Amino acid sequence: MKLPQILLTLFFSACWVGVAQAVDAPYREYDQMEDYLPHVKGDMRLSGSYRHWKDPANLDWRMAGSPEDNWKLNWKFMDPPFNASVHGGHFALDRGESIFKELNKKGRFAACLGARKGSLKGLRARYPMYRPELKHVAGMEEMIEHCGAKEGRVLQNGSYDNSAISVYVASHSNGMPININVTSSGPLKASYERGRKLFHTRAGRFNLACSSCHTKQIGLNLRGTVVTTPYGDAAHFPVYRTRYQLQSLQLRFAECNLDARTQPLLPSSRAYTDLEVFITALTNGYPVSVPSERD
Amino acid sequence: MRISRVMVWLSAVFSMSAVSSEWPTDLAVSPSAVNMTLQPKVVVNSGRLEWAPFKRDLTRWPSLSHADKQPTPKPRKVMLEEPLNGDPIRGRELALAREKGYCIVCHELPGEAWPGTVGARVLNFKQHNYSNELVFQQIFDSRAFNPNSVMPPYGTFGILNEQEIRDLVAYLQSLD
Repeated sequence: MKLPQILLTLFFSACWVGVAQAVDAPYREYDQMEDYLPHVKGDMRLSGSYRHWKDPANLDWRMAGSPEDNWKLNWKFMDPPFNASVHGGHFALDRGESIFKELNKKGRFAACLGARKGSLKGLRARYPMYRPELKHVAGMEEMIEHCGAKEGRVLQNGSYDNSAISVYVASHSNGMPININVTSSGPLKASYERGRKLFHTRAGRFNLACSSCHTKQIGLNLRGTVVTTPYGDAAHFPVYRTRYQLQSLQLRFAECNLDARTQPLLPSSRAYTDLEVFITALTNGYPVSVPSERD
Repeated sequence: MRISRVMVWLSAVFSMSAVSSEWPTDLAVSPSAVNMTLQPKVVVNSGRLEWAPFKRDLTRWPSLSHADKQPTPKPRKVMLEEPLNGDPIRGRELALAREKGYCIVCHELPGEAWPGTVGARVLNFKQHNYSNELVFQQIFDSRAFNPNSVMPPYGTFGILNEQEIRDLVAYLQSLD
């Protein structure tokens, strides 16, 4: 190469580095940040519908039957104990139990998930949590995939078998309130703050954030359905859906993204895990109830 | 001659590096497919999650990935050249089309059931006496009027082209 050519190359490389640095912080738009309480009763400040679904065993059945009013129950009338019908979630529970028992013959699988003294009681209510062996915050389904692989079984995050085990593990915490600590400083709080920011980040073909609908528009009609509060949603996942068979919370995010025409992410991605931490913190204090179903 | 050859070489190298280094690894995509966006498919009694092509390619717009460097298109102010030359009948079709305006999701339109209530009702739209230019800008990119607007920027984001927005303006202005 001759000297002018080299100089030209250097010049364009320098330009490119400048462009690349500018690209590093892309232009983004954010909805106005709401002040959330990391507890389910924070909904009293947001939509106020919490007063109607506060006690899942004693919901107003007249509201459940009214298309005008049933959003105020935050669809909790499809959770046990109010919903006593048998559905696909129960088959998943049975499948989850048999796979879990097969993998946990030596007790290693439960220990890997974080069970104390081999007991699954209350485990679901403590997730997502920081897992030292992964060196990051992980949701229940990510851990099931990780611990399954250690036992030689493929249980991809979001797959039916993975979510079935998750339902089985969660069933041991039925009635126990979700309890994750996002207020003391640590990885979980950092994840919660990232999730809160993501909740307000505009994305996709329609330039919508989660919060564009799920803060100011709660109770209004959208896409032929009614917008509900983000509070209290994490207690019934993974959930039986007719279209998805069994849907983990992170697959629900993928569905939300696709409905709002935003490129979805893979389960176990950092962004979805941060959102899961945020949504779960908004369910703090509300009892786990599985197996549940949704339309 | 020599300069142009160098330019071609440089741009080829840069575009390759741009694609390989800027692409987040956590997107649900199949880079080899024409329609890159994938949707999850849960298979009963299986430990594997399957993925099927989604009906649209959504990779052109930013995702929620922390590694996504794709910028959000900035708000744009546009001028409308009169005459409007919009077709109100075509405008109504666009307002109801799923992959076009699909205004019914948020707005109540005359003669249609199950409207959304998030957006303002657009019955008797003509009574407001809005200028064509204002209505055009509102559909093209409503962020020009209100940065917190939740109405999708149909023009800036390439969902509707200019003539389609002209048709929609003509439809709205025809609602007595």
